[in-house]
Amino acid sequence: MQFEPVAIAGVGATVPVRRSPKSLRALVVEAIEAALADAGLDASDVDGVVSDGLCMPTTVPRDWVAAQFGFQRSYDGGMSFGGAASASAPIHAELAISGGLAKTIVYYFGVDWGTRASGPYGFHDLYAGKLAFEKPYGFSGQPQYFALWARRYMHEYGLTERDLATIAVTQRESALRNPLSQATRPMSYDDYFAARVVSDPLRVPDCCLITDGACAFVMTSLERARDLARPPVRVLGTGFGSEPISGDDAFTQPAGMMRIPGAKIAADKALRQAGIALNDVDFAEIYDCFTISCLLQLEDIGFCKRGEGAAFIREMGIGIEGRLPVNTHGGLLSHSYLLGVEHVVEAVRQLRGEAGPAQVKGAEIGLVGGLSNPDYGVMILGRDHR
Amino acid sequence: MSDAATNEMLPEFMGFVDNARQGRLAFPYCRICGKFHWYPMPRCPHCRGNEIEWRQVSGRGQLFSFTRVMHAFDKSRADALPYVVALIEFADAPGVRLVTNIVGGRHDALRIGQPVAPVFLLDGKGRPVVEFRAV
Repeated sequence: MQFEPVAIAGVGATVPVRRSPKSLRALVVEAIEAALADAGLDASDVDGVVSDGLCMPTTVPRDWVAAQFGFQRSYDGGMSFGGAASASAPIHAELAISGGLAKTIVYYFGVDWGTRASGPYGFHDLYAGKLAFEKPYGFSGQPQYFALWARRYMHEYGLTERDLATIAVTQRESALRNPLSQATRPMSYDDYFAARVVSDPLRVPDCCLITDGACAFVMTSLERARDLARPPVRVLGTGFGSEPISGDDAFTQPAGMMRIPGAKIAADKALRQAGIALNDVDFAEIYDCFTISCLLQLEDIGFCKRGEGAAFIREMGIGIEGRLPVNTHGGLLSHSYLLGVEHVVEAVRQLRGEAGPAQVKGAEIGLVGGLSNPDYGVMILGRDHR
Repeated sequence: MSDAATNEMLPEFMGFVDNARQGRLAFPYCRICGKFHWYPMPRCPHCRGNEIEWRQVSGRGQLFSFTRVMHAFDKSRADALPYVVALIEFADAPGVRLVTNIVGGRHDALRIGQPVAPVFLLDGKGRPVVEFRAV
């Protein structure tokens, strides 16, 4: 099927903070208002609403959002959860717009894990297998999962703690160029090694921040977007991939541990659709929930081979002036942790040339990768050249 | 977001608990395709068969990976820090990786590949737990 070309016409984000006095619903409303204003659209223009399929339905449901704004929905959708959902959201726009179901679609996502009592760990209780066989052993937080992966990966491929530090330190440098980043202090290698160990080998700076906040973006046809307030950012390709393994098992049982097979599936599909190769990508916003997971995704997407992630990062350079800038706003590690929806906003700003001191020179094409293990989403965005 | 879908053991989980209470380690094994799986499922994830039995294993395993936990993700464990969470593989139950704690011995002596053996205990609520020690 030939899709109608789709663009992101507007983006909106709340200022990310550890704890917000506002409710998550108020934050989502603020983000959507900002995205509509950015696009120069009115609520009456919106006829489709999309979110992830797990977090938002229980916290800020789409019907509630539609009621707040008066959106007359002829399309309503949610798929996957968290990061994979945000990075693959244009799939909805391509299908709904090409199929004549909607013309203008708002996507939103937000969390209040800074304020919410269960924080980022509450969702593990959704999994029966984890409750029965992991929680009784004190295994109930994402840093522990990725610590097991990191130690095993170190054993198999010779990764060092300094390799992980390079990711954290470089992204911190990028974060300091963004006025909204939650992390505001410089971090040296010495600072990294002096930081508290959370679950070894992972330290505090290997782990993402905790944030209250929300982001939204508006998707419409490229043709229509060209008549709106901002320069459109084209969706060149989108992909979703996974493996048939449940969230119960994804961190401990896959035969090929420490791999995210969905990343390659999603990236290959998005690249095929975009008609480009990975070396055409000027920058990447990768789901860096942890330093180690950022490295693994660079491998799994296909930027480098298995086991070569650390060397690739060293040789390419992932800072703003590097050969492959990664997480140009500081990422989940140093900008904010809204499960990667902020990566989409950052990619759009880069491609509109609005990133200020963090601007990647000559940025034409950006890749966003979103992980919700085992699900993975990839969107490839590009500047519009009429 | 929150939170608990269920706080109960599913019926297909009980084989582990019942065996552990007797001091035995057992995992679900498919009689049709001859493979183990973990966690327990109502159907074999390899062949979709439903002839699943609990097959006892020796308990001898080795460390696939481990982490010393130094942060109280679970507030009730704040006094127990640091503790070791490990992922164990078993030569006689390929395809199973068990999450557990390593007890006894020095934490800094642990290494991947370390042979381990089970220790059967009851928790504060009388539920069986299976921890491991280095051997």
